[in-house]
Amino acid sequence: MTETLPSLEKPSSDKPQTYINLLLSGEALLPDTPGNVMEVVGILKSYGVVLDAYSINLNYIADHQFLVLFPFFKYFNGEITFQKLLRHWWGDRINYEYAEYCMRGMLWHGGGGLDAYLDTPEFRQNCQTAIQAKIKNNPMLQGLHSLFAEFLPEQVRQSAYYSGLGQFWRVMSDIFISLSDLYDQGDITSIPQIVDHVKAGLVAAAAMPITYSVEIKGKVYDILPKSAGLTFLPDTAVPYVEAVFFRGTPFPGTVSYNAQAYQISPDQSRFAYGALYADPVPIGGSGIPPTQLMQDMRHYLPDYLLEYYHQTQKGVRDIRVKICQTFQKSMFCVTTAAVMGLMPHAPDTSDPDEQAANEKYLKGWLARLKTSRLDIVQG
Amino acid sequence: MMLSALIWIPLLGAAFIGFWPGSLDAKRSRLVALLTAAATLVWTLVVISQFEPTNATMQFQESIPWLDNLGLTYKLGLDGISLPLIILNSLLGLIAIYSSDESIRRPRFYYSLVLLIISAVAGTFVSQNLLLFFIFYELELIPLYLLIAIWGGARRGYAATKFLIYTAVSGLLILAAFLGVTWLSGGETFDYVAYVGNKLPLVQQFVLLGALLVGFGVKIPLVPFHTWLPDAHVEASTPISVLLAGVLLKLGTYGMLRFGLGLFPEAWGIVAPWLATWAVVSVLYGSLNAIAQTDMKKMVAYSSIGHMGYILLAMAATTPLSVLGTVIQMISHGLISGLMFLLVGIVYKKTGTRDLTILRGLLNPERGLPITGSLMILAVMASAGLPGMVGFVSEFLVFRGSFIPFPVQTILCMVGSGLTAVYFLLLMNRAFFGRMAVPISNAIEQVDLNLLPELWSDRIPAIVLSTLIVLLGLVPSWMVYWSEPTTTALLEMSTTVAQVSSPPPIAMRIEHHD
Repeated sequence: MTETLPSLEKPSSDKPQTYINLLLSGEALLPDTPGNVMEVVGILKSYGVVLDAYSINLNYIADHQFLVLFPFFKYFNGEITFQKLLRHWWGDRINYEYAEYCMRGMLWHGGGGLDAYLDTPEFRQNCQTAIQAKIKNNPMLQGLHSLFAEFLPEQVRQSAYYSGLGQFWRVMSDIFISLSDLYDQGDITSIPQIVDHVKAGLVAAAAMPITYSVEIKGKVYDILPKSAGLTFLPDTAVPYVEAVFFRGTPFPGTVSYNAQAYQISPDQSRFAYGALYADPVPIGGSGIPPTQLMQDMRHYLPDYLLEYYHQTQKGVRDIRVKICQTFQKSMFCVTTAAVMGLMPHAPDTSDPDEQAANEKYLKGWLARLKTSRLDIVQG
Repeated sequence: MMLSALIWIPLLGAAFIGFWPGSLDAKRSRLVALLTAAATLVWTLVVISQFEPTNATMQFQESIPWLDNLGLTYKLGLDGISLPLIILNSLLGLIAIYSSDESIRRPRFYYSLVLLIISAVAGTFVSQNLLLFFIFYELELIPLYLLIAIWGGARRGYAATKFLIYTAVSGLLILAAFLGVTWLSGGETFDYVAYVGNKLPLVQQFVLLGALLVGFGVKIPLVPFHTWLPDAHVEASTPISVLLAGVLLKLGTYGMLRFGLGLFPEAWGIVAPWLATWAVVSVLYGSLNAIAQTDMKKMVAYSSIGHMGYILLAMAATTPLSVLGTVIQMISHGLISGLMFLLVGIVYKKTGTRDLTILRGLLNPERGLPITGSLMILAVMASAGLPGMVGFVSEFLVFRGSFIPFPVQTILCMVGSGLTAVYFLLLMNRAFFGRMAVPISNAIEQVDLNLLPELWSDRIPAIVLSTLIVLLGLVPSWMVYWSEPTTTALLEMSTTVAQVSSPPPIAMRIEHHD
């Protein structure tokens, strides 16, 4: 096999301290320029619209496609018409596959309270109750369940993640849309304001309970009961950032799946294929999930952002690449908000111990961002 | 005057652009050249419409005395072997002019020379007088030498001089053979028909055929006379490479078929097994060299050496099918190699390199060259002989036609087809798949690499050739229809002559055993 995969040499950041100082002084990981503000708000507006659709669909699948082994119409949100089917086949639709890709990324990478809860006896008990209710009078599923006892519980775990991500994106969508509204009213003019808005949204929803229950034959079964104590920030937001922003999954063509190539680390925690590291220039292979997100966002770009793209080299001919570049800028803002929101102490603390703890905490993050696109988005 | 027009339209166009006393800027020179080439193509279509495919003799014959005491007459004629090559010449001539850089230096000189080549090549394909053929054959050398020497790459002087020396020697050998056949036969004319299947003693035939084989072997080129070709291609600009690979190499195979087989069928029949073996050497040497190349253009050039070898194999076999295969392979190679050089030209124009150790991922849909890459996939498949494209038809005819007389040589040449897939898939895999990589200096964005967009003006000539490659692959009868009666007749004529002498040609012997 010819070597078709050049080593992905990413610029390494040798200035983590500069970024740490920026963060401690209330700045963001993205430079505060009017252009960046316009791009970030514009892309988050379209992202908000797309997340709204994703979250509705994820919740629909969790609630209404529970243990449906062949969910042919899972992307139809219950509205199945021939016209919609034609549009689906024609490709005139939202790429819900991207949402599922993120969900599976979270399921696979795990982390947070949701992941831990799915392995508890309590969950197993709830799960079995729901499964028994579902497979009653269904000999095929009963047979399957008796042959492969772990199969259906794993499907239920996946459904729990469908629901968890759906609830998380519901909140994020609202944050981004309200950000765009404030920008349109002239209330948002800087990158730190964007970070503050996102952070405020995250903090406000931090303690929101994450619950999930399904209705089977008129009776409601709890899968993630409120008593499990799962909440928005630690149990969905943080694992999401970890799984989607940082780790992600490698794609064939971007790296080799050949085991002898040793291009994929056997240690999942060392994965760096997430949104903050992604190469915006796709390889042209089909089905690369981030490209699906860019395709979706392109339909909802605000006019000012579209106009900006028109004015750049090559115009909108490579718009998906440009959307990805802008999206990465916005994700560094969201990452800033998450990092700042989770910081152990206030950034302006005068206590030397707290300062040291903050510094250590930020160094940890910056070390992980060393091979990311952080330096590139500095412009 | 049907055929004269094919020579004189481009010649007058060249004279007009070159000698017009008023000022002609690059744009106007280009326009005049385009109109001239288009007029030539239209006239070619008129000729096609008047051509009778079922008539295997020379058509539209013209004969004007020129230098009678030398035996030189302006005698033209067209048959089913010349017609496809004339069409190829007119089409690729127009494409070459269209693909020329609009802001080329010294435009008047450039376009004049290109038109002169189109004229001279048309002349060689319709000449029915040996000396006239030689004049046109030589006439095409000078403009090509200048086109490489003036508008070529960094080592253009070296490549152009090498080309000139090789092809001048080729011309000398051909002239010597023509003079020899005339003088030894005691003839006073150089008219081709007078010497078809001549009855010279075998030894003399061998010597004369040997001169022709080496002479045309240089032009085709066949190993070991090939070394000028990769250099010439690498240094020539894209349109000139298109002409060189698409049409000019065909002068060699055409000459070998028309004059080698046509004039000396008896000697040909005896040396045929050696010719087939020579074809194998050329095919395998060209293909194996292509695998080792890292310059895209050099790879395509070596592939040309390999694929032109098939024509020699088919000519050596001299079965009705194989001789038809020679003509079809000439068309097929003309279209496919023309397309490949156009595409490599686009890659070079956009990325500034043809180096396969640098280029990667050019199929990138948004930042790379997706249409160029897609057409390259088509060209590669056609070249490797995939069914549905013209390459399959021609290679099938060649191999099917040559297998009975020369099974071992044919199988070895088929290995060359397999090797075509090897080197062109290497090219595709390296340059077009994977993550995009181009020289930073030629990217319009350096971090997330970006190339200047492909232009429709770049794509159109490639799309035209691609369409023909697919169409003629799906409906091969559109090609075969024009040539089959002539190739069959050529063989009958040659074998009739050979039958009265001894020993019979190898093909005849084998057919007899069947």
